[in-house]
Amino acid sequence: MSNVVIQANNLTKEYVRAEFRVTALDDANLEVHQGEFIALMGPSGSGKSTLLHLMAAMDRPSSGNISVFGQNLQALSDAEIARWRNTHIGFVFQSFNLIPVLTAMENVELPLKLTKLNKTQRREQAKRALELVGLGDRLGHTPRQLSGGQEQRVAIARAIVTDPDVILADEPTGNLDAASARDVLTLLGRLNKEFNKTLIMVTHDPGAAKTASKIRYLEKGKLLPEGQKPAEY
Amino acid sequence: MFRHLSLIFRNSLRNRRRSLLTIVSIAVSLCLLGLLVAIYRAFFFAEATPDQALRLVTRHRVSLANPLPASYMQQIKQVPGVKEAMIFQWFGGTYKDNRDPANMFARFGVEAEKFGIVNPEYKLSDSEREAFIKEPTACIVGRKTAARHNMKLGDRITIIGDIYPVTLEFVLRGIYSGPADNESLIFHYKYLNESLTGEMRDTIGTFFIRMERTDDANTISKTIDDMFRNSPAQTKTETEQAFGLSFLSFLGDVKLILLTICAAVTFTILLVSGNTMAMSVRERVREVGVLKTLGFTNGAVLWLLVGEAIIIALIGGALGVLLASGLCAWMRSLPSMFADLSQLRVTAPVAAICLLVAAMIGLVSSFIPAWGASRRPIIDALKYSD
Ligand SMILES: Nc1ncnc2c1ncn2[C@@H]1O[C@H](COP(=O)(O)OP(=O)(O)O)[C@@H](O)[C@H]1O
Ligand SMILES: [Mg+2]
Repeated sequence: MSNVVIQANNLTKEYVRAEFRVTALDDANLEVHQGEFIALMGPSGSGKSTLLHLMAAMDRPSSGNISVFGQNLQALSDAEIARWRNTHIGFVFQSFNLIPVLTAMENVELPLKLTKLNKTQRREQAKRALELVGLGDRLGHTPRQLSGGQEQRVAIARAIVTDPDVILADEPTGNLDAASARDVLTLLGRLNKEFNKTLIMVTHDPGAAKTASKIRYLEKGKLLPEGQKPAEY
Repeated sequence: MFRHLSLIFRNSLRNRRRSLLTIVSIAVSLCLLGLLVAIYRAFFFAEATPDQALRLVTRHRVSLANPLPASYMQQIKQVPGVKEAMIFQWFGGTYKDNRDPANMFARFGVEAEKFGIVNPEYKLSDSEREAFIKEPTACIVGRKTAARHNMKLGDRITIIGDIYPVTLEFVLRGIYSGPADNESLIFHYKYLNESLTGEMRDTIGTFFIRMERTDDANTISKTIDDMFRNSPAQTKTETEQAFGLSFLSFLGDVKLILLTICAAVTFTILLVSGNTMAMSVRERVREVGVLKTLGFTNGAVLWLLVGEAIIIALIGGALGVLLASGLCAWMRSLPSMFADLSQLRVTAPVAAICLLVAAMIGLVSSFIPAWGASRRPIIDALKYSD
């Protein structure tokens, strides 16, 4: 049996707004193994992003337990979590979220500024990440000078530049045209196969989900058991 | 920490129009602040020149407007440590007309033969000094005034008295240059006194005293003032620098006025920039979520946002300081009316104070919104739209 990377037990997230409460994620149990590529699918509002955010420690669960590489995330302080996230997690957003005033190179270099690397090493590593995503010739371009597909590839370079163990992607092709989406999916597939990265991707696109090694479905905050899907799928 | 400077710098130029407006408004206020601080320094902190330090001024205890008998001179001269004492009489009057400030240079009556001893910093050629001493109606003027009015040796200069009901006709016999004052007209007090009748005759405003050593200032002052304690006109003797300040206080509590304006300027600019800084922080909230996702801590994000405000404020502050020092140079060239502005300049400490105030403005105006943004949970920040 391969190593367990993410272990979630009875994970629940409730959002309490003024007079009502929403259970965004309801008692989820999940085990992700090293090198797996999991696609998370489900209707809008079913709790996919919430689950992803909890795995990235971008949010804390209301109850339940989550540990990544054996590290119980609840035990860490905010500052420790920030550092932990920097080294262990690469996150890819649907809307790229590049810093508009920085070039592709500088955007990718950004997470490395929190490490001990010196400027030359940072540049070197950022350049390698950009070459890996096929943008070695766009180092000095700002986000505005790039197409959506290129922007998302820069964002992926930024997510992998610290060589994290886990890459989490929230609808990474959601804002892209079909051709760019295919490029991004191919890239994510390569990261999983060639670099053995553990990958969890939220997607609405059944075609996209096929690149994954496993598909898990959510419905109304419930993570359905393996092999089970909501009625409309 | 400084690893993020390039991002801070890039961000500060992001909304160019707003940054520019903020920079300009901070520059204008800091220029004003710089000028005020420079004035404050010139008045209250400028070091006395060696000549000033060797001079004492004796006046009426009550105020400058009360006259002293000219006869006090004899006793003052006897005080040990006094090298020379000289009548120094301010004469108002009008040159041509008073509408042009260039005509409002000061006029003083002195004892010409003592002038070189008491005020040696007024440089004059030997022949000019001799000509000045020899001729009862002679006068000398500073090089700036001479240049401004195109005065030449031998010219006749008429000053019509106002407080003194006399008209004095002088012949220009010398043009002096000094380290500070280069504007005044200096003439024989005797000529003025002989034109006067009644109460005004033989009474004067101030004695200027040249000491042998600066260390004696306190003892000499005390001796003189004690000497006249029981006379109808009591005296007050102080260093020339202290005298300059008490003359200034004639105009009101200058210190308090200056400090109040400084505080008002700082407070106003704080309100103005507080508003724009809050705006620019609001635009960064989403990015705060992204940075935190990449592993930036709350503290690092706070520093990014505050640093941006400080950089903008410092750019404005630096411009303001440059403007202020230009303004000081211009004011130094103006005819001086009430106060000696020759010391007015933006010195390194004045510039440092202004830049410090600028940095504080950046810090204080951005801290509260930046603190709020940096503490915002990642998920909230990422959803934030403005
Ligand atoms: N910050 C929040 N405050 C209140 N409710 C939220 C918040 N974030 C998500 N939710 C709610 O939680 C549920 C799950 O959201 P989410 O995980 O974003 O769904 P998905 O990504 O599957 O579309 C939704 O009903 C959503 O409205
Ligand atoms: Mg979602």
